[in-house]
Amino acid sequence: MSQPVKTRGPEGSIEKAHNSIDTANGSIALSRRNFLKAAGVTGGGLVLGVSLTGCLSRPALQTRADTLSPNAFLQITSDNVVRFYCPRDEMGQGITTGLATIIAEELDIHPQLIEVKLAGVHADYVNPGMGIQGTGASKSVREHYTQLRQAGADTRALLIHAAAQEKGVNPKDITTDNGAIIVDGARFQFGEFAEKAAKLSLDQQVLLKPSDQFKYIGTDFGRVDAVEKSTGTAMYGIDAELPGMRYAVVKHIPVAGASIKSVNEDSIKNMPGVLHIKTLPTGVGVVAERYWQAKKAAAALEVEWELPELANVNSAQIKSDYQAALSEGGEVGVEQGDLGQGFAAATTVVESEYWAPYLAHAPMEPMNALVRVGKDDAEVWSGTQMPQPMRGLVARHAGLSADKVTVHPVYMGGAFGRRSFMSHVIEATILAKETGEPIKVVWSRESDMQNGVYRPASLMTLKAGVDENGKISAWAAKRVGGNINPDMMRTMLPAVLPGLVPEGATNFVADIIESFNESWSIDSASIEGLCENYDFPNREARHVTVNHGLPLMFWRAVGHSFTAFAKEVMIDELAEQAKLDPVDFRIANTETNPRLQNVIRLAGERMKHLEVPAGHSLGFAAHGSFESDVAQVAQVSVDSGKIRVHKVVCVIDCGRAINPDIVKGQIEGSIMFGLTAALYGDIQLENGAVKESNFHNYPILRMNESPEVEVIIVKNDDAPTGAGEPGLPPIAPAVANAVYQATGQRLRSLPLTLA
Amino acid sequence: MIEFTLNGQVVQTDDTPDTPLLWVVRDTFKLKGSKFGCGAALCGACTMHIEGAAVKTCVLPVSAVAGKSITTIEGIGTPDTMSAMQAAWAEQGVPQCGYCQSGQIMAATALLSNNPNPSDGDIEQAMSGNICRCGCYPRIMQAIKSVAVQSQKDAAEVASISKATEVFL
Ligand code: FES
Ligand code: FES
Repeated sequence: MSQPVKTRGPEGSIEKAHNSIDTANGSIALSRRNFLKAAGVTGGGLVLGVSLTGCLSRPALQTRADTLSPNAFLQITSDNVVRFYCPRDEMGQGITTGLATIIAEELDIHPQLIEVKLAGVHADYVNPGMGIQGTGASKSVREHYTQLRQAGADTRALLIHAAAQEKGVNPKDITTDNGAIIVDGARFQFGEFAEKAAKLSLDQQVLLKPSDQFKYIGTDFGRVDAVEKSTGTAMYGIDAELPGMRYAVVKHIPVAGASIKSVNEDSIKNMPGVLHIKTLPTGVGVVAERYWQAKKAAAALEVEWELPELANVNSAQIKSDYQAALSEGGEVGVEQGDLGQGFAAATTVVESEYWAPYLAHAPMEPMNALVRVGKDDAEVWSGTQMPQPMRGLVARHAGLSADKVTVHPVYMGGAFGRRSFMSHVIEATILAKETGEPIKVVWSRESDMQNGVYRPASLMTLKAGVDENGKISAWAAKRVGGNINPDMMRTMLPAVLPGLVPEGATNFVADIIESFNESWSIDSASIEGLCENYDFPNREARHVTVNHGLPLMFWRAVGHSFTAFAKEVMIDELAEQAKLDPVDFRIANTETNPRLQNVIRLAGERMKHLEVPAGHSLGFAAHGSFESDVAQVAQVSVDSGKIRVHKVVCVIDCGRAINPDIVKGQIEGSIMFGLTAALYGDIQLENGAVKESNFHNYPILRMNESPEVEVIIVKNDDAPTGAGEPGLPPIAPAVANAVYQATGQRLRSLPLTLA
Repeated sequence: MIEFTLNGQVVQTDDTPDTPLLWVVRDTFKLKGSKFGCGAALCGACTMHIEGAAVKTCVLPVSAVAGKSITTIEGIGTPDTMSAMQAAWAEQGVPQCGYCQSGQIMAATALLSNNPNPSDGDIEQAMSGNICRCGCYPRIMQAIKSVAVQSQKDAAEVASISKATEVFL
């Protein structure tokens, strides 16, 4: 008797908004995706015979007659350079390798033989899962898997047809092997047929390889960026330079939403190297000849600030405001079955409260941007997850249309969601426009920590019941906190609306959407993962929005980063109260979720065989996110109040793993990232200002504190699912559950702190 | 003017004496491999070798290195001539975003030149000043160990060859 699940939320609403906006033309028009949909073409595959760039004002790739560029992704020159333009941005997740592998598989060439380039901004590089050109939500491999395979297969077919014509043989008698066309046993390089193939077009659908013929997908051959990133030659935004470039350091507003009352320019104007002092929406920009001069002058600059309401807020008050809001009913986000019946059937009922604090992303590379604004054009170098919105922001603040702005893609020194927010790019653009000089803004670590955007704090309550058969009969969840979507809208709308719409108008639109978000629906990111995964026949998730004005943003694994903690500690509490084994209990309650059940079973088996030294304890947790399923076992000891995690076993099912070793690396990294949050992460507000400033008071897990990690990837031939984030959510609850085994203390508050 | 040796070349700078070495190397001498992460000697992204020792250069005034010899990641090896440590890093897929890795490699290289056969604890100790936000620690540990083992083997081979030579003579 399954009942319909009612979910309300704005999922997809931003995509819808963005789909209809094509900033390449600076006007509102049908995007290619909608165009393809309207034309009745479904799926991500390319349409042969139709130029990929046919509906655009200019092609994505500049090309020459002797170069084969059948689509926006591949270029094969007659001197045999095979180039792949990677549509997604590289922030450490290995996407250049992942997507190169996918396209190389069907093209039939070893991925390491391909020259991989980061693509610029163009409608052809839109993320099919987002509707804009952006990278995130562990979507890149999932969304480009079919599209890029088709692009590779089509290109291979063109080369084969060209070779067939040239050699006078039937295309059916031609094969390929690692970058070579094979005709009658003779090998010819792809490039030899590039010019001829460039003149051909295909008129029938090219079939994709059966997966049992994969040569590169599913194998490990290293990362395409490994050498650059091991020799200091990889280029990040902070490395960009232009002739005549000036450095800017911004003295940032002390509290989000503050403004400038007065600036005492005399306090620094005679300092060495100081060239300009300019007010900005986010502070005062000090421009100097050299970085260190700008840095010292900005520190010495005297500014009086106009403080916003947030300046009256401290962390303790936020928590007590959340606590007070718990008594409100809130809005219903998910509702299924009959909770009353579920609780009536329960023989064990547990109710608990869980806390997760604000967190900073703290990517290793502090925010920075280099912008040049000319009379009719502008260009920008800055690592971002959102290149298309970045182009829009530069255009808006330079007073140009978006097509006049060139985005130079660079590697990101980490992002984790942080590089979706680009106030540093706005700062550089305004300064470049006002001074007429190329400006490089470099933020300090302190600015990064204190003037960023944050993982929202959350207070969650869960009340659940288990019946006499050990099944969870009722699950009632409530979350109190702020929502990410309104802040995201505020950032993105000015960025994606055509450059010349006045700022006031976009704020207006953003406010309308915000009120829509606040009063009509629930931000799915606020409750995702809170009442999913298990067979919850009777369940409900409610939300009470309380927002104090600290700007919020996606943070690795987004809502799952806090909801999994509450959910998986509660599962442990329930199993304990019902006197059931926590792994068996999870297995018994995932009958409707076989993939998650399988990883739970596998991790449970591994757990039984772990050699656990005296004084060490194990904890278990499982969570599904970004379409992947993960179970983890944490091996922990507690010594004079200090939690030490020695080993983590992680079983993941992410469909087909394109590059298993990169998936493994993402899991290792997610565990370290999640452990930093579990053990240390806590952004505190004092008079509205973020107290933490650098790595001494916002510690990041170090090597001597890091566990051994064992990763087991379930073999699965299904389409690939997320890999960059799903490894994170289970680690905090797995550690908390292990700490309970070790100490009997049930920790329900992050970061985990023993009494 | 402050003069020092940078990757084997004598250089001079007119940056003010209090400018941290990191910015002099990056902005004045355009060697961008050394990174800025915290500016407070807390993360190790800016690690270089000064007279062979790993030093965090974001808080080190350039005046302090007058007359000294500095090596940066660029001086350790290039894409075509990678050092053993860099090659191990690339082969074992250590870097994710890569931003911390110059500093990690400089710290690891200095460790092995002082202690060619470190224990896991020695490695953890020596590397604990270098943060990797991407969490590459398990691979950093593996890569350092593989280089140590290889150089031990090489050393043993050299030793046995010279012993054999001795016997032969
Ligand atoms: S930048 Fe020097 S230690 Fe962090
Ligand atoms: S690889 Fe990204 S910080 Fe180390």
